[in-house]
This record gives sequence, structure tokens and C-alpha cells, in this order.
Amino acid sequence: MSRINDVGGMAGFPAIVEEPDEPRFHEDWEAHVFALNGALIKRGVYNLDEFRDAQERLPVAQFLGSSYYERWFAAISTLLVEKGVAAPGDLEP
Amino acid sequence: MSDDHGSSLISARVRHVEALLESRGLLDAGEIDTRIDEFAAGGTPANGARVVARAWVDDGFRDRLLADANAALPEVGLSMAGGLQEQRLKVVANGPDEHHVLVCTLCSCYPIALLGPSPSWYKSEAYRSRVVRDPRSVLAEFGLDLPAGTRIEVWDASAESRYMVLPRRPEGTEGLTEDQLAGLVTRKGLIGTAAV
Amino acid sequence: MTAYAPGDRVRTRTADPAGHTRLPRYARGATGTVVQVAGSHPLADDRARGLDVPAQPVYHVRFAARDLFGDGDHGVTVELWHDHLDHDTEGRA
Repeated sequence: MSRINDVGGMAGFPAIVEEPDEPRFHEDWEAHVFALNGALIKRGVYNLDEFRDAQERLPVAQFLGSSYYERWFAAISTLLVEKGVAAPGDLEP
Repeated sequence: MSDDHGSSLISARVRHVEALLESRGLLDAGEIDTRIDEFAAGGTPANGARVVARAWVDDGFRDRLLADANAALPEVGLSMAGGLQEQRLKVVANGPDEHHVLVCTLCSCYPIALLGPSPSWYKSEAYRSRVVRDPRSVLAEFGLDLPAGTRIEVWDASAESRYMVLPRRPEGTEGLTEDQLAGLVTRKGLIGTAAV
Repeated sequence: MTAYAPGDRVRTRTADPAGHTRLPRYARGATGTVVQVAGSHPLADDRARGLDVPAQPVYHVRFAARDLFGDGDHGVTVELWHDHLDHDTEGRA
């Protein structure tokens, strides 16, 4: 079944918007999510393809309603539970 | 996309997960900050601009770059090894009758190790869905109106290779130094949504 | 497995996989031309399922937009694994 990430040739998305002088990250936590993912892949907790797969498995409405790094963090959270590193309740402060 | 409240909420969750992983021995203290610092000191569009400027002034380098970019990059002190693993780079050259443009329709693959993070528009569904289907009108929206006779080639980074566009050297730049030429090259030029 | 070579005409698989795939939907069941062999890697579709699989050749395959979408005068080059492809035998004498 095709997934929501697979958008090549699809109609209906909003106009392309350029952000002048865009920073590398918009928020500090985004940089943390980026670094966290790299650290977990390097440690072999999961691989890059599992990480992409975990994003693609997000419910479509959540996927489209999330920012780029919100998707990343959701995928990391999913994989930490699936790999047995954490229980779902462990991930909430 | 997050408002301030949502942002502080997810920020707290990220810190919490980091602390949890540290306590379970899956992260070292300070590891995240080190990675963030390394990333900030890593890839930047200026690297791509240096590669392009060298290719404009040195035909031999240009040939080597197009034949095997990974082997040619060390000539300008660069490599593709800065990320999770060394990645294959393919450089595609614009010509009088052809123009190249890059996309990743499945996610957001981009030569981060060389060029740093990609712009948000490159990661957007809006760009990724349309450029593969109707590149000419997408490029026109970026202000790049290509002649009808220019063939457009779209490169979808769907697997392990990463790509970079070698723009055409602008006319009237014969007197510029290599550094001055590099100053003309933009990130959009390296992606293919600008002429240079 | 006999690797494809530049110039070979290949057809992408039509299967609609249950999980992660790096064969974009718009390029399914399409005929294109191998332009370059781009190393060899384990199939991402398998790695995403946590499988430890051997490397296989990866190719840059160029499609005419017309063969993907029915119109368009541009080309689209997609990077695909050997398992995504079959030799295209249609239309040959």
C-alpha cells in the first residue's frame, strides 16, 4: 500500500514557499532531535531505513499535521518502544 | 508548525528522552551537544560553491568531478564522509540545452555532509510532489524561466547516491578570481532551482 | 544475478509492497534505460524490515516523463535496486 511520504506526481499540496535567510534549525529541540537520531543509528539501536519506515507508518493525519522534526521525533519514539529500549510511558516527562 | 506552547512541550519531551537514554547507557553525557557542534561546523553551501568555481576554471577538474565526484572532492579539500557513512556523490552539469534539478520524492535525501541541511522548501510535499511531474512550471515559480528548447532532467535521490548540480558559468565573468566566482554560486543553483 | 549495464532497457516492478520501499509509486511498472551502475547496497526495502541481506547492484535509471505520466518533455532519473527491475523484453524483435 502506498504511503503518505511517496508524493512524487501527487496533486493538491499548497504552494511552494521559500523562507529567506532560513536558519539551520528553527528551534533548539530540532537540533537535539537531529543529533539524537544520528547517535541512535550509530549505536545500532535502529538503522536509517527503519527510521524512514517508522515515519512513513505514522497515521496520515498526524504525518501531514506534523513539522519535519516532529515527524522525526515521533519515529524515534516509535522505534525506542519497538526495539524494547523504553516502554511507552517512559517517553513522557 | 508548532506554536510556542507546543514547542516547549516537545522540547521538554526531547530532553526527557535524552535523559532516559543516558540513564540506560545509550547516550553519553554531552554526546548530543558534541554532535550538534560538529554538525554546525560541517557541510555548507559554500563547499558546493568552491567545487563549482574550481570546475569553472579547471577543465581537468571538471572532467574528473563529473566522472567520479568522490575521487575529485579531495582536490579541493572536501569529502562526502562527514555523515553517517561516506555517500556516493554524482555531479550533473547544466549545459546550453539541458538543465538539471534535484529532488527526493520519498523523503528528503540531500548531500548534507557537503552542503549542510537542505532548505525547508526542498523538504516540502509541495516541491517534492510537483517538480518530478512538471519541473518547468516549478522552476518558473522560482524565477527560472528556461527556454522551450532546454531539456530538463530531474534526479530523484531515491537510494544511496546524492547529487549536486554544476551550474553554467555566467557570461562576463572572465576576469573574476576563483574565490569571486564561488561567491556567485547559490544553494538553489546547486539544487537546480536557480541558474547559478 | 546478472547485473544490468548502461543502455539496458529495464521495467520496474508493479508490485504494491506492504511496507517500506524505495521504488516510488510514480515509477512503478515503467520502462526506462540504465544510465549508470551506482555501487551495490543491501536492499533498503529489506533493511527497513530489520533483515540482514547481501548487497545488490544499484542503478541510475532514466525514464522519459511521457513513459511515467503520459506527457511531459523532461527526463526523470530514479536510483533503483536490482530487485526493483526486470529486463524489458517487450517491443523487441
